[in-house]
Amino acid sequence: MAAATIALSTQAHAQEQGGTMVLIAQPEPPTLASYLSTSGPIGLVAPKIYNGLLDYDLELNPVGELAKSFEVSEDGLTVTFELEEGVTWHDGEPFTSEDVAFSIMEVLKQYHPRGPNSFKEVSSIDTPDEHTAVFNLERPAPYMIRAFASYESPIVPKHLLEGTDIREADLANNPVGTGPFKFVEWKKGQYIRLDRNENYWKEGLPLLDRIVARVIPDASTRTAAMENGEVHYGAFGAIPNVDVVRLRESEDIGVTTDGYAMINPMALIEVAVTEPPFDDRAVRQAISFALDRQFLIDNIWFGYGKPATSALSSNYDPLGLYVATENYPDAPDLDKAKALLDEAGLEPDANGVRATAVLDLIPYGEDWRRAGEYMKQALGDLGIELELRYEDVPTWLKRVYADYDFTLNVNYFYQLPDPVIGVHRHYGTDQIREGTPFVNSTRYSDPEVDELLARGATAADAAERATIYHELQSKLAEDLPVINLFEMEFLTVYSERLKDHTLSAMGAYGSFERAYLEE
Amino acid sequence: MSLAARRARYVLRRLVQAVPVVLAIVVINFFLLQLAEGDAVDVLAGEAGSATPEYMAELRQKFGLDQPLIVQLAVYMKNMLTFDLGYSFRHDMPVAELVLDRLVPTLLLMVCTILVAVGFGIVLGLLAAAGLNTWRDNLISVFALVSYATPLFWVGLMMIVVFALNLGWFPTSGMENIAAFHEGWARVRDIAHHLVMPVTTLSLFYLALYTRLMRASMLEQASMDYVTTARAKGLTERRIVFVHILRNALLPVLTMAGVQIGALIGGSVIVESVFAWPGLGMLAFEALFARDLNLLLGIFLLSALLVVAINLVIDLAYSFLDPRIEVG
Repeated sequence: MAAATIALSTQAHAQEQGGTMVLIAQPEPPTLASYLSTSGPIGLVAPKIYNGLLDYDLELNPVGELAKSFEVSEDGLTVTFELEEGVTWHDGEPFTSEDVAFSIMEVLKQYHPRGPNSFKEVSSIDTPDEHTAVFNLERPAPYMIRAFASYESPIVPKHLLEGTDIREADLANNPVGTGPFKFVEWKKGQYIRLDRNENYWKEGLPLLDRIVARVIPDASTRTAAMENGEVHYGAFGAIPNVDVVRLRESEDIGVTTDGYAMINPMALIEVAVTEPPFDDRAVRQAISFALDRQFLIDNIWFGYGKPATSALSSNYDPLGLYVATENYPDAPDLDKAKALLDEAGLEPDANGVRATAVLDLIPYGEDWRRAGEYMKQALGDLGIELELRYEDVPTWLKRVYADYDFTLNVNYFYQLPDPVIGVHRHYGTDQIREGTPFVNSTRYSDPEVDELLARGATAADAAERATIYHELQSKLAEDLPVINLFEMEFLTVYSERLKDHTLSAMGAYGSFERAYLEE
Repeated sequence: MSLAARRARYVLRRLVQAVPVVLAIVVINFFLLQLAEGDAVDVLAGEAGSATPEYMAELRQKFGLDQPLIVQLAVYMKNMLTFDLGYSFRHDMPVAELVLDRLVPTLLLMVCTILVAVGFGIVLGLLAAAGLNTWRDNLISVFALVSYATPLFWVGLMMIVVFALNLGWFPTSGMENIAAFHEGWARVRDIAHHLVMPVTTLSLFYLALYTRLMRASMLEQASMDYVTTARAKGLTERRIVFVHILRNALLPVLTMAGVQIGALIGGSVIVESVFAWPGLGMLAFEALFARDLNLLLGIFLLSALLVVAINLVIDLAYSFLDPRIEVG
């Protein structure tokens, strides 16, 4: 197989050039300002236009992009990037280390939703020459090196942003980057058109002439457009799982779960730990024992997913951080769950009801509603009677993260490439931030956990970090302020004509510079 | 006063009367939209995955959401009076630009639908009335009933399955072939090609309504005294139907069409969504879920203006169809 691929690729090289690839961008991105927002649809388009300093291979190892190489000092307090030479912006201006310093210090660290955390320790960036950028850190930040992909930290042009109000800059709708594709036109409600950057600094790339991101609001129509060959690529569940089961039988259409390791989505229940009877951790443990995670995966997500076994995703295993913990049973154990409730003093009444609660559901599609129906049933057997609530996104966000007017909330979180960036926000006392979405809504606060989180963020030694996170996971499995359900597997559906689209861990958020269409 | 001068004065008066109506619509909509929980900043921060409280407070300040409601309304009204529809912070674009961009596709879909629905509705109603209680009448009535009762989204999806996937006659969705980027006449043909299925789907529903209305209206007029008189005068049946009855029977249909155009702008959300047609309905739908109030108000204002304008045109059309109806 490998030999055949190599032979083919040398022979077919001439035909690989050219062609228009159409991908689904759903919902339509609000802007293309990836330096201001990490919104998913922006991530589908912007990384084709902007480069990051680094990219990550499918095993999550950093590989050079705008940075040829990088070096972390012994004490972990300086990180030196050697930059590519001969790189120009789409408007012809040269790219220099000044752009890097400006992007990190003046843009990402100030305005990016996650930038202030990712670059918290960066006190200054020196630019000794045009092709060297030296990051000076207050304390070691081992997680930072995973935050340099184009989607997470795009490098933006200093000459177009300096002296403007970054949030209102025209760049948001007319992006100018150093990436393989140039922005051409945006017909709102229809498509975004990107054309090949003829002067791309990587010799012979990109291979495609054009990428068009199409907006198709209706899921069934997206499926039909994919079947009809009108679109070539749909990621992040653009084609619903129920249709994928049918489409994957087709010879013209492929399906992969690769390309989501940096995103690391985890489905979960947030529990308001202040609300009796759920303030008792035995009750939270009982819920974890009563739920059949594999049933959810098999019947609602059509087999795509992996039962959760800890507060951290098993995708952190290559980093040595993950460990399986107790209170995440392989199969539901109703007797154990009932025993836990008895222990907590929750006796069933005449109708067998031990407690009642409202279960809020993340309003991101029908699957979550069905998951809620399953949980109503499963926890009903346990004697916890649930009422389901499904609202629109702004109402739900306000209820859970601003008003704290909830008890149980089904949700999913991106755990991202490092726990410091993706997981700490769920558990830290300093992450109880009223009105800020997707942080600690459970109001769980534990000094021991806070200390572990603080140490995990700055431990430079890998073995020491592993020990800290293993300890953290057993503590969180005991307390369960968040009951993880399953590691989600998003699906990318693609036309078999489209090759080499998922070459990095960034998947759909990658540059697509090597993607090509076979005749 | 001449007829033309009377009509001009009438139009002018109606336009002046429309001003307070439109203003009232804006104010009512403004307060109605405030009833929705959450604001644009919640949505933006939610989409971003995480955001600092300082960042959110700063955004609210920038969007003017930290001001008292009455101040926000005053600012909006002041801008509106200078024909400034405000700024969509979500899209980072002026509202006017966003809305006008979608106006052409919306009007294209709306006008084609109305023409097809009213046109075919009149013809079918006429045929049904002319062949009262024959197989033709029954067939048309059943067709009208079925197409009225079938949900729009289902018709749309079935059209896609049959005509796009199985027969390959039409593209599944969109307004033009975006892999090709046609120019000139090729582009016009391409857009027309993409227009067929959405217009058919949306017309089917309204078509049924006009067919039923036209049939009933024709039958009602046919029993009038003036028809008997015409027949006594020895006019041909053809002339009686097409000149005498038809003109009178059209009036209710026209009234209905005028009323429904407003609904059509909103009602096309489903068709726009199924066929990925870049219309105002979809924009409004998304703006609502994003709590992009400036944009929503802009769309409401434009819809209100359209409804006012179209009703005026319909009223004028009356006086052409039936000279006994005077404007003024």
